[in-house]
Amino acid sequence: MIRLEHVSKSYRTSTRPALDDVTVAVGKGEFAFLIGPSGSGKSTLLRLLLREEVASTGDVYVADLNVGRLSQRRIPQLRQRVGCVFQDFRLLANKTVSENVAFALEVIGKPRHTIRKVVPEVLELVGLEGKADRMPHELSGGEQQRVAIARAFVNRPLVLLADEPTGNLDRDISHEIMLLLERINRTGTTVLMATHDHAIVDSMRRRVVELQLGQVVRDESRGVYGVSR
Amino acid sequence: MRASFVFSEVVTGLRRNVTMTVAMILTTAISLGLLGGGLLVVRTIDRMQQDYYQRVETVVYLSADISANDPGCTSSTCSALRGQLESAPGVQTVIFESRQAAFARFQRIFQGQPELLQLARPEALPASLRVQLSDPARFPSIAKAFTGRPGVDRVTDQGEYLRQLFRALDGLRNATFVIALIQALAALLLISNTIQISAFTRRAEVGVMRLTGASRWYTQLPFLLEAVVAGVVGGVLAIVGLVIGKVAFVDRVLAGVFEAAIVPRIGYADIFSVAPILLLVGSVVAALTGYLTLRLYVRT
Repeated sequence: MIRLEHVSKSYRTSTRPALDDVTVAVGKGEFAFLIGPSGSGKSTLLRLLLREEVASTGDVYVADLNVGRLSQRRIPQLRQRVGCVFQDFRLLANKTVSENVAFALEVIGKPRHTIRKVVPEVLELVGLEGKADRMPHELSGGEQQRVAIARAFVNRPLVLLADEPTGNLDRDISHEIMLLLERINRTGTTVLMATHDHAIVDSMRRRVVELQLGQVVRDESRGVYGVSR
Repeated sequence: MRASFVFSEVVTGLRRNVTMTVAMILTTAISLGLLGGGLLVVRTIDRMQQDYYQRVETVVYLSADISANDPGCTSSTCSALRGQLESAPGVQTVIFESRQAAFARFQRIFQGQPELLQLARPEALPASLRVQLSDPARFPSIAKAFTGRPGVDRVTDQGEYLRQLFRALDGLRNATFVIALIQALAALLLISNTIQISAFTRRAEVGVMRLTGASRWYTQLPFLLEAVVAGVVGGVLAIVGLVIGKVAFVDRVLAGVFEAAIVPRIGYADIFSVAPILLLVGSVVAALTGYLTLRLYVRT
């Protein structure tokens, strides 16, 4: 589902490449953690998958799309297949919970009757069925992240990318968010989550891909955060 | 494409920066109004030119000898001149005016001033061939061909005085266009600025749109439409302004000039024939400005 082949990415402002000859593949329906210290290249890798950046060398594939070769016009096709969630939620403050979720469908031109049917379903999936009309500022951090996940998932993407989704949340809430991501993963969606969170990685026992200085230094199918700990 | 969604985004955008929106619309309206005014001046000048040049004549004054001795232009010199003028290119009609006829006309023109008439003698007025040109611009070639010929005293062009008048009017028109242009530049910068602010205040929405795979049209059309709305509303205001200007100013101040048919009247038909140009220029220029701004400043 996700494939990087000898991918390097250098920025003009930096002497060291952000990614250095990375080859990694994540299969359909897989759940994988992307770990490593700050500056190891996790976010760069996610940005390449979304075509926010283009690799300097090497090929990036998502589903059947060669991401680096996509024309500007076809980038939306990629992004409609890839949902993403961030540490800072990125909800629209002036829209209600259900409007925030519906927005993701409206902007890709989905018909209104579909939106009316799908939004309550996905809010139920993330456990926010009673809070459709709340504004984001009326919700807790965990609830806001649930809205963000609902928005990322409402168009049934093939891949869900999560960049430190629990970075702003305490341990119990983080655990709930992980259960939710697992539930989404069980629907067949590939999940790739970049994180610093030792406890979560250790407790989930899922595949772990570790980056250091832009290189893959570890790739274990049922890993923990730090082997040296 | 869901039109209702795009339009609600446009309305939100215009409302959110209402002061900028008003400034953008007013500046656009003023520049389009000046452009419309300039276009109306051009139409009026063109009509005046046609009208006036039809009336002006090129005059070939004949020598003292012909003036005194040939009251019917029957001498060989005079009739040869007349024949050559008639066959010259661009000449419509040639009329001979004898010294007596010239004096009669002089008396008619100055009948209100008997002192002047008492002083005047027919001998002071030359006979002439009065030439009506189909194209007033042909005067120089006529003047060149006939000046200095036997029997010709001098060749004059009444159009020369008109040209001075129209040069002044052309200056007025050019000044209007220059002001319109400067104003248009201000309007363009304001439109560009408003779109940037609009895009900035909506960066969260645009960010979500990009990440959820909205097409370029979905993300940018609302901004483009905001600019076009400003252009069109500005155009409509400019047209309203021209109508008000006609009723409240031009018709009153220039009433006498219109009565005397010195300047052709500016009608509603004139304003409405300029109106589509203003709307078109307003919307197209606004859209182009919007498009370029989005291209240059807003990431997709």
